[in-house]
Amino acid sequence: MNKIRVIARIDVKNEHAIKGIHLEGLRKVGKPNKMALDYYKNGIDEIVFMDAVAAYYDRNSLSELIQNSCSDVFIPITVGGGIRTIDDIKDALKSGADKVAINTKAVQDPEFINHASKIFGSQCIVSSIEAKEIGENKWEVYTDNGREPTGLDVIEWARNVEKLGAGEIMLTSIDKEGTKKGFDVNLCQMVSNQVTIPIIASGGMGKSSDSVKLIKHANVDAIAIASVLHYKLESVQNIKSSLTENKIRVRI
Amino acid sequence: MNTELKAYYGLPKEVKFCKKCVISNQRPSSTVEFKNEKGEKKKVINFNEDGICSACVYHDEKETGIDWDDRDGKLRVLLDKFRSSDGSYDVIVPGSGGKDSAFTAHILKYKYGMNPLTVTWAPHLYTDIGWKNMQEWMHTGGLDNILYTPNGILHKEMTKNAFHNLLHPFQPFIVGQRIIGPAMAKRFGVKLVMYGENQAEYGNSIEENTNPIMDMDFFSSDDALSMKFGGVSMKEYIDMGHYTKDDFAPYIAPEKQDLIDAGIEVHYLGYYLNWDPQECYYYSVENTGFQANPVRTEGTYSKYSSIDDKIDPFHYLTTLIKFGIGRCTYDAAQEVRNDKITREEASYLVDKYDTEFPDIYFKEFLEYIDSTEDEFWETIDKHRSPHIWKKVDGVWMLRHTCSSTGTDD
Amino acid sequence: MKIAVIDYGIGNVRSMLSAFENQGAHVILTRNKEEILESDGVILPGVGAFSHGMESLNKYSLVEVIKDYIETNKPFMGICLGMQMLFDESEEFGKTVGLGLISGSVIRLPTADTKNEKLPHVSWNELNFKSSKWSGTILDGIKEGSDMYFVHSFVAKPDNVDNILSITEYSGYKFCSSVKKGNVYGCQFHPEKSGKIGLKIINNFIRMCEK
Repeated sequence: MNKIRVIARIDVKNEHAIKGIHLEGLRKVGKPNKMALDYYKNGIDEIVFMDAVAAYYDRNSLSELIQNSCSDVFIPITVGGGIRTIDDIKDALKSGADKVAINTKAVQDPEFINHASKIFGSQCIVSSIEAKEIGENKWEVYTDNGREPTGLDVIEWARNVEKLGAGEIMLTSIDKEGTKKGFDVNLCQMVSNQVTIPIIASGGMGKSSDSVKLIKHANVDAIAIASVLHYKLESVQNIKSSLTENKIRVRI
Repeated sequence: MNTELKAYYGLPKEVKFCKKCVISNQRPSSTVEFKNEKGEKKKVINFNEDGICSACVYHDEKETGIDWDDRDGKLRVLLDKFRSSDGSYDVIVPGSGGKDSAFTAHILKYKYGMNPLTVTWAPHLYTDIGWKNMQEWMHTGGLDNILYTPNGILHKEMTKNAFHNLLHPFQPFIVGQRIIGPAMAKRFGVKLVMYGENQAEYGNSIEENTNPIMDMDFFSSDDALSMKFGGVSMKEYIDMGHYTKDDFAPYIAPEKQDLIDAGIEVHYLGYYLNWDPQECYYYSVENTGFQANPVRTEGTYSKYSSIDDKIDPFHYLTTLIKFGIGRCTYDAAQEVRNDKITREEASYLVDKYDTEFPDIYFKEFLEYIDSTEDEFWETIDKHRSPHIWKKVDGVWMLRHTCSSTGTDD
Repeated sequence: MKIAVIDYGIGNVRSMLSAFENQGAHVILTRNKEEILESDGVILPGVGAFSHGMESLNKYSLVEVIKDYIETNKPFMGICLGMQMLFDESEEFGKTVGLGLISGSVIRLPTADTKNEKLPHVSWNELNFKSSKWSGTILDGIKEGSDMYFVHSFVAKPDNVDNILSITEYSGYKFCSSVKKGNVYGCQFHPEKSGKIGLKIINNFIRMCEK
C-alpha cells in the first residue's frame, strides 16, 4: 500500500486564509503563504489552496498566492475554486501549481475534464467532489462551494469523472467539514470501492485518531486537513506519528 | 435626479446607498408594529453628511470607542442581580434556535451561570432545517424551551391581510414575537428578558444603543381593541364575526404598568458583548448542534441566516418591492460592517442575488395566504414605488442600485 | 555559472526555477540553441504523455540540440517525463520514439490491478540502492529509503543495469526511479517537489555543474 499523503487544505479569500463550517462562514485564520510555509517546514506532504469565494464573484484570483508559495514551498501544490476554462488551468500551472481541482465547471460540462486531461495530462486534473448526505448511503453532489444541489449521485459521478480522465478525486463531506468531528468514513468507503484512481478524503478531522479510523476503514490515498491544523489542535508531526504507531505508512 | 417621481410611504425621494456598506436610505427602522397602518410614513435609517449610514457609524464606534471589558463587567453586575439561587428560571431568552438566540441562551447558561428559559414564537411554517436546529438547541445545546404556536386560522388571515394591505406579511408575526419575551417573563415570574442583537446594529436610532433598556412602547398597548393586524383592527376582526377577543390573547401586550410593577427589564446581549453574527454561527455549530441551510438561501449568498421559516423569503421579497433592497443587501451589509467582505464584493453579490425570486416555497406561501398567483402579483405591483421601480419593455427594473447600474444611474 | 531549463511548453517550470534559485543557482528558462549549448548544466522537465513531449521537442527543434549538448559531457538531468524521453521508445499510445540517449524502453507500470494499487502512482515513495552507492552522483549524501514525490503511470526499463541509480517499489514491482549514464541523469520523481531532500539533490547537481 502507498504511503498515505497528509495534505494541508487552505481555503482562501483575497489575502486571508479562512475557515468555515459546512463550507459556510469566512472566519479569518491567518496568512495563506505563511501557513503553507509553516506546514511545509513541519513535514506536510502537499498543499491545496482553494479559492473559497470564486463561486460568488465569478472570478479566480490565486495566481499571485501560488507564485509566492512556489518560491519557498517545495512540495506539490494544487489549486482549486473557479477553474472554468483551459486558460484558467494554463494560468494556474504557469503560476506554479502542479494540479488543479475542478468541481462546478465539470458538473456543468463533464467533457471539460476529458478535454483538460488530454491537454495537460490526468495527473494534473483533480476532480473536486462536494458531497452532502441525503439518505442512507446516498450522497448528492453540490457545486459553488457547497451551495447549489445538482441532483447527481456522488458515487455515479465519481465513476464518471474517472472515465472522463481525472487523475485523482478530492472528496469533501459538506456535513463533516469544519466540524472537527471526524471524517465521513462511510462516504469515503463507498466511493473508494467504486473507483480506481487515488482519493483524497477531505472534511472533518479534529484529532489524530480521526485519520487512523478513516484509513483503517476506507481505501483512501490521502487526507486533506484544515481545521485541525489552522486551529492548532494537532501538529503535522503528531498526526504522522499517530498514523505510524497504527501501522499506517507515511513519509517521515 | 428626477424629483417628479412619487415616493410611496413617505420614503426619501432621492435613493442613496451608504458609501461603506450597501444599505440604502430607504431602509425602514423598527416601528411599533401593532400600530402599523396602511400608507403610513416610514421612519428610515439615517445617513450622515459623509453619506455613511448610522449602522456603519455605530459599528465604527463599536470598534474603537467601547471598552468591552467594562461592558462585560456591567453584564456580570446585571446578571448577578437576577441570578436565581433556588433553581428557578432567571432569564427569558426569546428566539427560534437560530444562530443568534442559540448563542445568547447557551452563553448565558454555560459561561455566565444563568438559568435561562428559551421561548419561541413559532415560525409560520417551519422549514426542515429550522425544526432540526430548534430541536438540537435543546438536545445538544442543553437548554429548556417553550414553543408557543398561535391559532393558525387567525394567524393566516392576519398574514393575508398584512400581505395585501401593507405588503408586510410578517407584521402580525412581529407583534407576537415582540411580546412573547416580556409576556413569558411575567407568566413565569422572571424579571430579566435578554435578546441577542441590538437593533442599532442595523441602523435604528443611535440613542437606543446607549440605553440598553428598550423603550417599553414597543410592546405595551393600553387599548387592545385598537391594535392593528394587517392594517385591520382587532375590533374589526371581531365585528366581522369569526373571532372573539380570546383568540387574540397571544398578541395582546401585557399592560405597561404591570410590567414595570413586576420589575421586568429587557436587555440586549449585543450591548454587552462585541456582537458578530457570523461568529454566532460558528459558536452555535460548535455548541448547540446548529447546521447551516443545506443549500444557498434564495435571494442571498449565505446559508446561515434566518432559515427557519418558509414565509421568510417573502418578507425579503416585500422589502425589495417596497424599498428596493432584498435579503442579499441585508446580509451583505452586515458582513461588510463586520469585515468579512468588502463593499465591492457586497455590491457584486447584491447585483447577483438580491432580485432572485423565492421559488422554493412560493406555492406554500400562496396557500398560506389563500391567494392566487394573479392576486399575489397584483398586490406586489401596486406597492412598487415609482421612485424605485421603472418598467422597461414590460420588465420591472430598479432605478438605482448600489453598484450604480440601475436604469436611472 | 549558468543552468538552463529547457522550455518546450511542458512541465511545471516555475517550481523548477524556484528550486534552483533557492539553492543559489543562476538559472534560465530557454529553448534557444546557443543558450542551451553554452550552459554549464541543463534540465529537461516534463509531465504528461511521452508522445506529446517528443512532439513538442521536435516542434522546437530541440532534439538535435539536446544530443549536441550531451556530447559536451556537461551535466544533464531529465525529470519525470524528461527522464523517460532519454530512452529509445515508449509503449504509451502505441510506440513512440524517444531521444535514444540511454538504451531501454518505457512501459506502463505493472500493477496488481487490485483496489489497493492505483494508477497513476501518486505518492511519496522510497529510493533504494541498486548495486552501487550514490556518492559522487546527484544522490550524494541522500539516505537510502528517503521519500521522494512520484506522479506517473509509466516507468523506464534500462537495458543496461549499470545505468540504474535507484530502485523504488510500487504494487510489488520494483522499478527504476533514477538513472545515470556518464553525466546524464534522470529522475522519475520530482526533486523540485520533494521538500528538503529534493533540494539536496538539486544542490548536488548544481555542485556538479560548477566543476
